[in-house]
Amino acid sequence: MTKLLLLSVFLAATVFAQVDKPIEMPYVDYPMVKGDHDEVAQQYCLICHSWGYILNQGEKSRPYWTGTVQKMVNEFKAPIGKEDQQTIINYLVKHYGYEVKSGQSGH
Amino acid sequence: MRHLNRRHFLGAGLLLGASTLLGKETPAKPIAIPQTYTPPVIAFPEKKPMVTISDRPPLLKSAKGREIFTQAITPNDEFFVRWHLPDIPTHIDLNEFRLEIKGSVNTPLSLSVDDLKSKFEPAEITAVLQCGGNSRKYYAVTGQATHGVQWDHGAMGCAVWKGVRLKDILNRAGVKESATWVGLNGLEKPAMDETPDFFREMEIHEALEDQIIVAYAMNGEDLPYLNGFPIRLVIPGHFSDSWVKMLSEIMVMDTYRKSFFMDVAYTVPDNDCECVVSGSDFEYKRKPIASMKVKSVIGYPSSDTVIKKGSKVKISGVAFDQGKGIKEVMISLDGGKSWSAAKLGQDYGKFAFRPWSFEWDTKAKGNFTIMARAINRIGNIQPLADEIGWNAGGYQYNAVDSVNVKIV
Repeated sequence: MTKLLLLSVFLAATVFAQVDKPIEMPYVDYPMVKGDHDEVAQQYCLICHSWGYILNQGEKSRPYWTGTVQKMVNEFKAPIGKEDQQTIINYLVKHYGYEVKSGQSGH
Repeated sequence: MRHLNRRHFLGAGLLLGASTLLGKETPAKPIAIPQTYTPPVIAFPEKKPMVTISDRPPLLKSAKGREIFTQAITPNDEFFVRWHLPDIPTHIDLNEFRLEIKGSVNTPLSLSVDDLKSKFEPAEITAVLQCGGNSRKYYAVTGQATHGVQWDHGAMGCAVWKGVRLKDILNRAGVKESATWVGLNGLEKPAMDETPDFFREMEIHEALEDQIIVAYAMNGEDLPYLNGFPIRLVIPGHFSDSWVKMLSEIMVMDTYRKSFFMDVAYTVPDNDCECVVSGSDFEYKRKPIASMKVKSVIGYPSSDTVIKKGSKVKISGVAFDQGKGIKEVMISLDGGKSWSAAKLGQDYGKFAFRPWSFEWDTKAKGNFTIMARAINRIGNIQPLADEIGWNAGGYQYNAVDSVNVKIV
C-alpha cells in the first residue's frame, strides 16, 4: 500500500499564494423567460442556486419538474407554499419543459 | 469568516446535484442530447475563463472542452469546480482556520494548516477527481435523459495532491474502540438553517486506509480557493462527493448518522448492475456511489473535426479506473467493428490519468467514428454506449467514448 504514496523526504517550504483579501465572485445574470409569474420562480429558486441549474438540465417533463420542486421543499426545506409550488411547476413546464403526452409515463 | 451574501437572499439553501428521488424520464420525442443552452465563459478567482454552468454555487468546467484531456495532469487554473451549497466563505484567515477532530477520540485535536505541514509526515499522490454525475448527458444518446445538470466529460481532472494521511490524523487523536463511522464537513453552508449540510460519512476502516489524505497542496501550489482552499479530503479511486472541500471538521462517530447527502443524493440502485432494470429508480433500495468505474475519454480530436486526407492524426486521451490500473486502451476507427491497441503513456500511479495515444494514417475520405475503450488490470472493461445500465441520477457514466470526424 505504501507504494501508492510518494513520500516527500523533506518538508517543502510551501510558497503561500495566500489570499489576503476576500475573493470576489463574478455574478452571472442567467436569462429567465419573462411572464407566467417568473417572479415567483425568481423569488424562491434563486435563494439557493442560480438559474443556470435550470438552463443546463435540458427540457424536462411535468412529472420531472413536479418532482424537482417537491424535492426542493421536502429535502432542502425551501419555504414555498403549495400555490407557489404549482405556479413554479407550470412556469418550468411551459418554458423549460413539456407536457407528457397521453399513453406515456412520466416515470 | 466572510460569506457570500451579494444577493442578500432570505435564506433557503438548497442545492442539487443530486436527484435520485424521481423516476425515469420518458422523452416526449426522441432526444439527441438535451442541451440547448450555451453557458457563458467567465474568469473566476485563480481560474482562467471557464464555462460557467452556475455562478452560485459555482459549477465550472474548462473552456477547452475535450482538449483538456490530452494531458495527464490538469492545471489548477482549468480544474473543474462544483460546490453544493450557496454560502461559501470568501475569505479564510489561516491564523484562525482550524481542522477540528472530535467525537469518539481520546484527544480531540484542533489543527492549523501550519500544524498539518509541520507536525505530520507529508504524503503525495496523483489521483483523478471526478464528479459522480460526470458525462451524464451521454446517457441520453442511447437511452433516456437523466436528472440534473447535463455534464459532458468536463467534471473531472487529475492532480498531484500533497498533504497528510487521514489515518495519521486519526491515530494522533486516538480513535476509540466504539467508533464505526467518520463524518466529514466543510465550510460551505446552506442559505437557510433548515437545509441539510453537505455532510459526508465513511466507515472507520475505510478512513484508515493509507491512500486517503487531507491535501493542502495541488500540483505544487496551494489549492485554488474554488477547489477547496486551504484543505480538502482526497479519496483516490472514489467519486468526488466525499472529497470534502474547505474541510473543517472530522467527527468520529459510534453510529451512522442519516443525512440527505448520504442516503438520498448520490445514490444508485443497490443491485449488481447499480442500474434500473424496470420501473422507477426510486423504487429501489439505494446505495451511495463510491468506487469509480474504468473509463477513457478522447482528448483529441473533438467531434466534427475536419481533417485533410493524408494527415497523420495523433488521437489521444486519458484513461483511469478505481485504482487497479489501466491495462490497455483499444481504439476503433470504424464505429466498433475492429479494435487496435493504443500506446500507453507515462504512468503517474494507479489512481492517476493514464495518457494514451494512437497514430492514425488517414488514407481515405469520408466520415469516421473514433472510439476508445479501456480495460483495467482486473479485467473491468467499459460497456458500449448502448449496453450501459441506466440510473435516474445519471451517475457513474463510463461507456465507450466516441467522436465523429470527417476526412476530406
